[in-house]
Amino acid sequence: MALNQPRSAPRRTSLLIDAIVIVGLVSLVFGVAHVAGEWREPLRPNVEIDLSPWALPKYALFSFARGWIAYFFSLVFALVVASWAFYDARAQRFILPALDVLQSIPVLSFLPGLVLALVGLFPHSNTGLELACVLMIFTGQVWNMTFSYYDSLKGTPPDFRALGKLYDFSWWRRFWKVELPVGAQGLIYNSMVSMAGGWFFLSVTEAFQLGDQDFRVPGIGSYMSVAHEHNDVRAQLFGVLAMGIVIVAVDRLVWWPLVLWSKKFNLDDFAGAAAKKSSVSLWLARSAAIQRIGHSFARFQSWMVSPKHAPHAVATATLSTETVPHAATGRRGHIGKWIYRILLALIAVVIALGLVQLVRLLSHVTPADWRTILADASISFGRVMLAVALGTLWTVPVGVWIGMNPKLSSRLQPFIQFAASFPAPMIYPWILALFLHFSTTPLQWGAIPLIMLGTQWYILFNVASAASAIPNDIRSCAAILRLDGWRRWSRYLLPAIAPGLVTGWITAAGGAWNTTIVAEYVQDSGKLYQATGLGSLISQATAAKNFPVLTAASIVMAVIVVGINRTVWKKLQAIANDRCRFGT
Amino acid sequence: MNPTTPIIDISHVCHEYASNAQEHDLVLSDVSLTIAENDVVALLGPSGCGKSTLIRVLSGLIQPTRGSVSYRGKLLDGVSPGVAMVFQNFALFPWLTVRGNILLPVEHLPPAEQQARLETVLATVGLGAYEYSYPRELSGGMKQRVGIARALIAQPEVLCMDEPFSALDVLTAETLRNEISRLLASTDHPLRTMVFVTHNISEAVFLATRIVVLAAQPGRIAQIVPNTLPYPRDPDSPAYRAAVETLHGILTHTNLPDHACVPADAGKVVTKVDDTRRRIGPVCLPYVTPGEVLGLLALLGDEPCDVFDLAERFGREFGAVVRVIKAAELLGFLSTPGQDAQITDLGKQVAAASTTEQKHLVREQLLKLKIFELLVRLIRVQENHTITEEELLRELQAALPHEKPKQLFRTLLAWGRHAEIVSYDQRKHQLRLYERKHAARAVGHPLIPPTA
Repeated sequence: MALNQPRSAPRRTSLLIDAIVIVGLVSLVFGVAHVAGEWREPLRPNVEIDLSPWALPKYALFSFARGWIAYFFSLVFALVVASWAFYDARAQRFILPALDVLQSIPVLSFLPGLVLALVGLFPHSNTGLELACVLMIFTGQVWNMTFSYYDSLKGTPPDFRALGKLYDFSWWRRFWKVELPVGAQGLIYNSMVSMAGGWFFLSVTEAFQLGDQDFRVPGIGSYMSVAHEHNDVRAQLFGVLAMGIVIVAVDRLVWWPLVLWSKKFNLDDFAGAAAKKSSVSLWLARSAAIQRIGHSFARFQSWMVSPKHAPHAVATATLSTETVPHAATGRRGHIGKWIYRILLALIAVVIALGLVQLVRLLSHVTPADWRTILADASISFGRVMLAVALGTLWTVPVGVWIGMNPKLSSRLQPFIQFAASFPAPMIYPWILALFLHFSTTPLQWGAIPLIMLGTQWYILFNVASAASAIPNDIRSCAAILRLDGWRRWSRYLLPAIAPGLVTGWITAAGGAWNTTIVAEYVQDSGKLYQATGLGSLISQATAAKNFPVLTAASIVMAVIVVGINRTVWKKLQAIANDRCRFGT
Repeated sequence: MNPTTPIIDISHVCHEYASNAQEHDLVLSDVSLTIAENDVVALLGPSGCGKSTLIRVLSGLIQPTRGSVSYRGKLLDGVSPGVAMVFQNFALFPWLTVRGNILLPVEHLPPAEQQARLETVLATVGLGAYEYSYPRELSGGMKQRVGIARALIAQPEVLCMDEPFSALDVLTAETLRNEISRLLASTDHPLRTMVFVTHNISEAVFLATRIVVLAAQPGRIAQIVPNTLPYPRDPDSPAYRAAVETLHGILTHTNLPDHACVPADAGKVVTKVDDTRRRIGPVCLPYVTPGEVLGLLALLGDEPCDVFDLAERFGREFGAVVRVIKAAELLGFLSTPGQDAQITDLGKQVAAASTTEQKHLVREQLLKLKIFELLVRLIRVQENHTITEEELLRELQAALPHEKPKQLFRTLLAWGRHAEIVSYDQRKHQLRLYERKHAARAVGHPLIPPTA
């Protein structure tokens, strides 16, 4: 930042902030060493968790590290796969539908299988469990980031691309100077959403145990789970507090500054002029230590970006005739083509092998098993729909109320956001304890509120944002027409929020299917509570190492979710978008 | 025109919007107005004069901060009972068909009555064939017909229209205006009382029996002009033209008052503007860019030019052109005798100058303004001769409590940078006095004149 004005007065720096940054860096290094050590620990039959609150920072660090490792992979995946889909028209036809399916299937149904497979791969160390954990978080984070970056690649103004061609940008320079800045805002916003989703998967995977098998890894999730096991209320409260602090800290210290900073990449000139810096980034900029890091990074960056040859050195004459953005030429292109073909062939072989394996596994599933799976699936289906319906009942009026009061929504937004990102399974046992007063098999109905706990927020968010977008003229018109009571809802508010409501339903229903796996099968204080349903069937099959049923049930769940998406939700969304959008 | 019983009566209405915790924008200042039966009232004025707010106060959509609103003698709480409204952007519900939209106000009536009324209004606005279409498929003019039909079906005592034709193209607007005028003139149609907002003078003269001219910042009534021309009105008749001319004069004088420095132009309409606002020390530049002012100078000939003709020639709204003229006048490039704009000798010199000389002349004129004197002084007293945006905003707010500091800051920045008085580092949000880096730079002309 300060590179270009060597003559400028020295920036005000602060020793205290220097000290904080240095302590932060040192603890980062030690933290990485500690986490790496933990991964190499031999596999233990049971997780050992220290329930003293003083041990919590360590566990928070572990969870934090898992979240960020997964995020790093998600980011790399998003950038690479989205670019691939954008630049390769052939691959695009496969990648986009694949991503769409992957984003809608309930990945949690693969958790049991994944854990068993990876523990089998690394039988002597914690690596398998850690990898499973990171992979689960990854699958919760990656899809929307990929779609966001793909959309921004597609939406890059053609002028920018023309400029890149005109000055003969290398691919790296094009990525760094054009594509990444254009995509930054969407990517950062989606990263924020992804991280919130990631905590849910984190807490579930860290606390994962099946029957007598303990797959827990040290972290906040397992701390909570052990605290529930020992009925240690104090530790439970500290666990919730620690998770809350991690969520708020990441939001305030990482995402918020990034969101504000990314406003300078706004393509709209006028909105960009209003870009502000958050207090945190200003605060950090004062620290001399960070400034120095900034310098060396800037130097590295300018070395990376500086062209290795003068612009126009390569035939500019081909420019006008060139239609494919990166038409490969010469020998390099040939090699690239071959590598590409080999890669495609490899992928095809892997998929074929997987299919063969799958068919072999499924042949062991008896007709009776299939009947159970389908019966349980229909029960879970009812539960999911009830959870979505009940969630809708309260979130629609509240969401409309919040959305139409800008003051209220800005005041409530951080709280709702916190509620949405807090991993609900961590407090399932509390609610379970409440239900136990009424019934000895509390989960049959009790799973519904458990499912709602984590999923209803999506409806609330989307309804509130749709309500806030109702044009002023329409609001005035409704007031002049004196639309009251039922007429107000049926003629005006419900249609007006319909596009947001349907989007909320899709996200909530997808999340709800995921959640059945943990909400229909809860372990508390050494006791196991189950509900009849596909989610608990998956968990049971894993506990019994019944791989054919596990596979069949997981596939059935995926098919149901994707099928309902295609036949119901997408159609509803099309109708809502067609009929109920304001504007031209 | 026999004004009988008053229907809507507002007295001493003030309205403020809270732009943030400290700042309040005064949109309406002490407005009193009575709408009587058979009145057709036009609210006329440039953008930002609060005319949309005023019509919303009249219809009860907005509760004013101070003052009272009464409907047929009773204090109003909430939306007026006998009012229907037509909106600038139609405000049709996209999920209802034309029929569904129009029937909304009469759904409480028996079905036979609904159907009868629907057929009447559909015939009135000529929408019969569109009954079962969705608004999306309709053109702008058709959409506004639906909006008008929806308002008429309620058989309102007062029809309010907020810039009803400004979202339409010129020809469609003309057609709809004619149709409304025919409704007002025909004796068998119940529509008699109407209030509408417009920034189009001819539209006001064409439809209204009383024209309320509003002045901006804060919005207030400058003058009320009765219009007694008989319906149907012929825009080519001398009486009509004279009325339009008079309103031109009033609007120009309201927005470009002749100061002492400008020779007063006797013989023209003298407006009584109740300027209750306190005058503040330094006169502020209107929020326009240097490019706009220099462009205006380049386009103006030697002859004085009517301000309204200019607005028409540039295809821009009257209020926007007036702001540019005001800025040019403040810098001594223009004078505004009466409703004309006349380029001064200095203005001609600027228009003919090279980019560098132009900057030089603009800088000289800017530095004569109190506000730039203040800016330069504020920067000089800082250590390093650098002031942050935050500090400057604070200082501006303290020195000029009646201006919006952010907008003022942006204007100062635009002009100060153009005239090379200040430079601004957006990364650090800091302003400093501009210093030329090399002497050679001053001689060489930049390739692109940095005006746009």
